[in-house]
Parts: sequence; C-alpha cells; structure tokens
Amino acid sequence: MTQLDISIRNEHHRLVLSVSGPINSYTFTDFQEKVYKAIAQADTAVDMEHVTGLSSAGIGVIMTAMEDAETTGHGFAIVNPSEIVRLAIESTGFGDRFPIVKTLKQV
Amino acid sequence: MMGRQGHRTGRSVSLEATPASILEFEDFVDSLDILSPKDRNRLKLAGGEILDNIVKHATPLESRGIEARASRSGGSILLAFYFRSPSFAVFAGEDGPWSVYPEPLFDPAHRRWRGMGLLMCRNLAKRLVFRPGESMDRIFLEFEAER
Repeated sequence: MTQLDISIRNEHHRLVLSVSGPINSYTFTDFQEKVYKAIAQADTAVDMEHVTGLSSAGIGVIMTAMEDAETTGHGFAIVNPSEIVRLAIESTGFGDRFPIVKTLKQV
Repeated sequence: MMGRQGHRTGRSVSLEATPASILEFEDFVDSLDILSPKDRNRLKLAGGEILDNIVKHATPLESRGIEARASRSGGSILLAFYFRSPSFAVFAGEDGPWSVYPEPLFDPAHRRWRGMGLLMCRNLAKRLVFRPGESMDRIFLEFEAER
C-alpha cells in the first residue's frame, strides 16, 4: 500500500482516526492536518493497526499532538499500533512517553 | 528515465533522487529473503530516513541516481547507499547533523518536532557511517540480525 487513508468517526464524544498505509515524508502532511484538527476539537484516539510505516516526520507530528493534547486538556492515545509503528516509537529512545493502548476501551 | 520500478539486481536497487524512491526502497526491502520480519522493519525505517536525507540534502546528484545494496553476513546485516553529491558532504560536514549528535527540536513554522531521523537510525542500527569520496559518497548502516 502506498497511499495514506485516514477515516474519522465520532465515538462516545471522542474522535477516532483510523489510519492505513505509510506515514512518511510523502504523506505525513495529511496525517498532521487531521490529527492537529482533531486534538483541537476533542479527545482523540489514533488507531494505527494498519499503518505500514512511520518515518521521523510522522513521529514529529505525534510528539506535537501529545503536547497539543496537554495544552488543550484533551486526551490523546495511539491505539493498537502495528509492529513497525511500535519499532519506530521505540527507536526514539523514549517510547515509554508515548500514550499507547491496546484497545479503544482502554482510552 | 526510471519508472516506478527501479533497476533491481539481486540485493541492490537503483533509485532516483525523488521522494517516490522511498516507496520503491520499501518494495526492495520487502523483496529481500535474507531478513526476518523485524529486521525488515528496521531496514525500512532506518534506510528510509537515510534515503530521505539524501533526497533532501544531496540533490542535484552528480551520479545518475542512488544505489542501495543489502547483504547479510553471519549475524550482521549491511545496508549501503552509493551516490555522488558535493552538497551532501557540506550538509553532513564537521558541524553538520552527521557529525554532532542531533538533538530533536521543535520547528514552530511547521509545527512539528524535527531531528528525530538520525536519532532513530542510531538506535535502530549498530553502526552508521558516512564516507564521502571523490568518485562516490557512501553511507553504511550495519544492523545486528535478529536471532
């Protein structure tokens, strides 16, 4: 898969972004725009089960989203990340700071 | 002119210095039968970051393109990029990000954290080396293979 697909739904007053495909220097702007917009509006969960790649650009967006969540007082979580997403997050050296949950029920 | 499919011979691939080459590089890594699934992901993440650096900071190239080669020897996996660009050596030089350990920094203009790529590469690979040369520049990433 070479395209990034992002669908957004409202679930129990929370925005859930389901992301599929690679988040790389090619595709991250769409991810950035949608995640920042969601965080500004409501608690946000990003389902990354079907993400096939996560570059440093995507990591940089997630880090900013975490800070935006603190500023706005909205919750932010990464749900069920794929193996490559987990590895990318671990490779930062501070993976334990990322709000990762296995299922939406844990948010 | 190379299309979506670069020229691939065994464990090497010729890539154009364009953003689309990252997708082609990932296809190349997927085609390698010398890697475990986790090692494949490590090569995709670290190699993708390096390729992104080359595309952003080495263009225009003096070489026709970028060659990526992957090999495995015992417990080590070597990923190498070959290209020729005077500008990359300037970018990576004595005070550049390849010489100084990069600290992530927040870019307010683009509203995102930057400087994560090399940090990720250094944590994913055992060794990361840039060797500029008169006829060819080389970047080597060595990984410890998963047992």
